[in-house]
Amino acid sequence: MRTLGPGSVSSLLKSVLDVVYIGLMVVAGAIALAGLAALLFRLDPAVFKGVAIEGASGEVLTRPEVLAGLFAAIGLYLTGVLVILNRLRKVFVTLTAGDPFHPDNVARLRLVGALLAGLEIMRYLVWVGSLALVPGIDRTGPSISLSGWFSILVVFVLAEVFREGARLRREAELTI
Amino acid sequence: MAIRVDLDKRLYDRRMSLTELADRVGVTIANLSILKTGKARAIRFSTLEALCRELDCQPGELLVFVPGPLNEEVD
Repeated sequence: MRTLGPGSVSSLLKSVLDVVYIGLMVVAGAIALAGLAALLFRLDPAVFKGVAIEGASGEVLTRPEVLAGLFAAIGLYLTGVLVILNRLRKVFVTLTAGDPFHPDNVARLRLVGALLAGLEIMRYLVWVGSLALVPGIDRTGPSISLSGWFSILVVFVLAEVFREGARLRREAELTI
Repeated sequence: MAIRVDLDKRLYDRRMSLTELADRVGVTIANLSILKTGKARAIRFSTLEALCRELDCQPGELLVFVPGPLNEEVD
């Protein structure tokens, strides 16, 4: 089974990433519109009857500024995921072309690692923010995902591996 | 890089063009230019051997040290 080049596993994964990316773009667009509507028209919380939350938490969540903040957080999170997917798609384009050590892949992987770390930190910050805003929320903190942080470190190490690969590729190109 | 491959004099002595040398050695003109301008990181023994054979010279006659800064590392 070929892992690089046209018609390989990389090519298949690139197609999967394309589909997920486009799907998420549509979802992000819908959320952006909903957030905008919440801000511009002070969206009536009654619209969300289907997802009504009882008690103090429900009252807080129906406040327009909290709703807008919620949409902003979701939007920020989705933007991060979209950028990650976009960079991964570009990495997989080079893999499909059979050129894994393209110099641009180093910066792409570093950005993916940084964004993954940022999203993980954002998860903790959202939890802290929800503690302040929603009095009755479950106070058990977000679990620190060891596998998540391990994956983030692996991405950074991979970026360095690609940097070394790109350097060797350049050396090979300039060896006559 | 401070090492250059001095081809011009040898080519002139042999009345040979860069294109002809490229054909004989089996290296592209672009790569020969990289050698001439000192941008190459390394030269294969096989390339050096072919150059010496076609230009009828020793490696020491081709390689010239020109004082100057080293090429920057690729990051």
